[in-house]
Amino acid sequence: MSELSSLRQEQVTGIASAGKVDSVLRELRKIVGDSNCTASKHIRYAYSYDLSFVKPKMPDYVVMAEKVEQIQELLRFANREKIPVVPYTAGTNIGGLTIPERGGILLDLKKMNRIVDIDSESHVAVIEPGVSHAKLADALYKHRLRFGWPVGPPSASVLACAVSHGIGGLNAKYGLNSQEITSMEVVLPTGELVRVGSCAIRHDAWHSCLPLPQLDGLFKGWLGTSGVVTKIGISVHPIPPVLKVFTVSCDNVEDMYSYMHNLSNYEMCDDLTAVSWWLAQVPIPYPFKPKPDNAPEWFSFATTTSWTEKERDARVEIWEKVFEEEQKKGTSVKQTVYPEEALKGRTQLPSQVVGSTKNYCKQGGAGISWPGTFTPAKVWAPVYNKWKEILIAHNLSPSVRMSMYRGVHYGMLRAMIPFNKQSDQETENARHAIVECLKVDLDAGGIPYKPPIDFANEINQRADPGYLDLLRRMKKFLDPNDIMNPGKLGI
Amino acid sequence: MDWKIAELKELEDKIWRCTACGTCKTAYDYGPPPTFGEICPAGTEFGFEGFMASKGKIAFARGILSGELPWDEELVEAIYKCTVCAGCQNQCQLDHKPYIPEIIEAMRRKAVAEGAGPMPLHKNLLQSMKNYNNPYQGPRRVRTDWTRPFKKAGKPIKDLNKEPAPVLFFVGCTGAFNTAARAVPTATASIFQKLGMDFGVLGENEICCGSTAMRVGDSEEFKRVATKNLETFKWLHDERGVKTIISSCAGCYRAIKKDYSLSSEYDEVMSGIEVIHTADYLNRLFKEGKLKFKGELPWKVTYHDPCHTGRHLNKFIIDHEGKQLWKGAYVDVDQSECLYEQPRDLLKAIPGIEFVEMKRNRANSFCCGGGGGVMTGFGDWAAKNASLRIQEGEETGAERIVSICPFCHFNLNEGAKNISSQVKVHDLTELIDQVLVGINDD
Repeated sequence: MSELSSLRQEQVTGIASAGKVDSVLRELRKIVGDSNCTASKHIRYAYSYDLSFVKPKMPDYVVMAEKVEQIQELLRFANREKIPVVPYTAGTNIGGLTIPERGGILLDLKKMNRIVDIDSESHVAVIEPGVSHAKLADALYKHRLRFGWPVGPPSASVLACAVSHGIGGLNAKYGLNSQEITSMEVVLPTGELVRVGSCAIRHDAWHSCLPLPQLDGLFKGWLGTSGVVTKIGISVHPIPPVLKVFTVSCDNVEDMYSYMHNLSNYEMCDDLTAVSWWLAQVPIPYPFKPKPDNAPEWFSFATTTSWTEKERDARVEIWEKVFEEEQKKGTSVKQTVYPEEALKGRTQLPSQVVGSTKNYCKQGGAGISWPGTFTPAKVWAPVYNKWKEILIAHNLSPSVRMSMYRGVHYGMLRAMIPFNKQSDQETENARHAIVECLKVDLDAGGIPYKPPIDFANEINQRADPGYLDLLRRMKKFLDPNDIMNPGKLGI
Repeated sequence: MDWKIAELKELEDKIWRCTACGTCKTAYDYGPPPTFGEICPAGTEFGFEGFMASKGKIAFARGILSGELPWDEELVEAIYKCTVCAGCQNQCQLDHKPYIPEIIEAMRRKAVAEGAGPMPLHKNLLQSMKNYNNPYQGPRRVRTDWTRPFKKAGKPIKDLNKEPAPVLFFVGCTGAFNTAARAVPTATASIFQKLGMDFGVLGENEICCGSTAMRVGDSEEFKRVATKNLETFKWLHDERGVKTIISSCAGCYRAIKKDYSLSSEYDEVMSGIEVIHTADYLNRLFKEGKLKFKGELPWKVTYHDPCHTGRHLNKFIIDHEGKQLWKGAYVDVDQSECLYEQPRDLLKAIPGIEFVEMKRNRANSFCCGGGGGVMTGFGDWAAKNASLRIQEGEETGAERIVSICPFCHFNLNEGAKNISSQVKVHDLTELIDQVLVGINDD
């Protein structure tokens, strides 16, 4: 527990029972009202852990904001008093991103859950942080619109996923969910309300961050360390009615990469993903168990959507061409039937089944973490082979996923690692293996996303000094007292 | 009689199968079209993660088990601020899913066993059970007040203590003592008489089913009344020829059907006795062509699924031995015992009724807010939550909300009053009683 945390804990315990509260809590109550803030231990405890290997730590206070003005007032107060503030929406990341490193105030944004606007003509939606994928999916469908739903829980926040460079089911077509952000409203750590993108010029224009200087970059990928994003505009897309999924298997990662690279050149997929045999198991074997000799090591599903049967047939023609080319190369690619339930889990998003980590954690004792990276596609194979060695040496399954982003030059490479959180030893084993994997990836040119602090440290060790200096200067400029989710950037 | 009621520690393995993913927090179905709704009454009202769905309750359970969360007034209050509606359970996909209400109630049992729980108002309720065998502090003789009009009309209801009959109408304490809910047993008995059924009641000798005690964590009091009831049921079967127990109360029905099965002697005692909810019983008659309706009720009506006749009756398929998936794996859910379609089929069959659904229905029904001891412990919140449900009913354009639980009936009425809603709340039996053609009618 942080120094501040333990100090305040002492104050809260004992005094609270006498019907008094400490001065911080008194101030918080003035800002958000009695029922929206607390220092009660059981409430703080429920925010102290997530799925990941990151050690549990409690905030000193939990605050729920209902209005932007409350956030402004809260941050002005916290900045004045130098109290850390950790923005929180659903806590569903697997990198400990909302576990407070230095205590302070956990700012729960779930009550700010308005879908401010869906412009079905311009294909732009404006949402608050508490809007879940489930809620937005429901609302967008009424306009026959969709978004890149991730394989997370339906209750997870659309905004938090997007500003953290989360991925979605349309990433092969449109890129990362952060690339779908068209405008932002942000409360700075010092309490000022700012807008970036078109909404900064006209209050109701949320259609584009371009062609203005991309100040949205000050708040994307910063893990809540540069401000509290209170609204975003996002591009939303029409739903073509014809779904066609192409599924293949390969005996090795090199052949799978070759197939994906080839198919990706045609830029016709919504999602182009491959999973290793271990990730295709329900659940992922924990501890490691060998793959049967006769089972392929990789499976791929390429999701396409078309407006007409004729368009679908054209996609089929292209896919058949790719498939034949890969066969002629002598690769192990084969057409395969992806199990119906697994296919549903990949194409019917948001999904309770996939989102609830059903595939991942059943045998693992409630823990799951990852090396989740954006990695040049051409090094997927060597990185995977090295990961496999490391993970098996730690008695963990190489349950790896590779997904192409828009175009072919890089994509997501990650391993979802279940482990037994009840055991400190098993948790540490998983952490160690995952960090080792990450080092391999970083050295191959990959970069982790939504990184826990262990990863941030590894990034920074390799970073160009000029980059780190700029990062520090920007952070200092935006957050002079380092109150926003301190420690997460490892700087 | 031995009872297999789990302690919190025994559920530790299940508690650690929760990953804290939060899927439990919102009702969602892919569709298409996709549907979304808030599902947790406590989460909706209080907001903090600890209150939110099973994710929050599991956090409390972990902290209590590890000793990191010692009992204090606020923690005790927090574990009782849950309607145990199982809405979160319906969303969860992990291995602890079948045990979620059990985990919540096991926390309460631990609180009670260690002198920290239940809430002060629950203590009154439990004391009343000890003194009066009902949670309403009602003297025995009051239990039969609702039967007087039948006697006056020359149609007395048979007393099974004195005469035999194949059907026991288990009235339940809420219908008997809560004057606002007395319409439920009255309509039920009226229907049974119109149908010419040979049925009876236990009258002043009926005692509480124990559901409330179980829900608030007093397993000892539950066992006391449940054991007595099981003994009574056996006696009724052996000495009075009872073969069917019918209840119009969702809570009693759930208790007898599910909680009583935790007794080591349940199968033996209940051999030859069918337990059935009135809605299910009447629907069965309707399907057999034995219910005829006359006149019409020209109303736009929606239906509220009580938790206790809905998702609480889920049967979970669990791979206990690890033969199919792995040891303790949650495999699937069997909803065949949930009373989702039966009341709807009856409503739709009533002439004149235009039936409309609320957005949250069946397995994703939004709890009225009265369950899990909340109506007793936190009456204002229970009514406030019921108002939300009433508003959802209003949004459909319905003039009436129908349900099959006296508890929901009472609480929804409170919710309607709170917001001065014009929506009227009925028990299904009240509607059927109005249009049913009796065997003696022309």
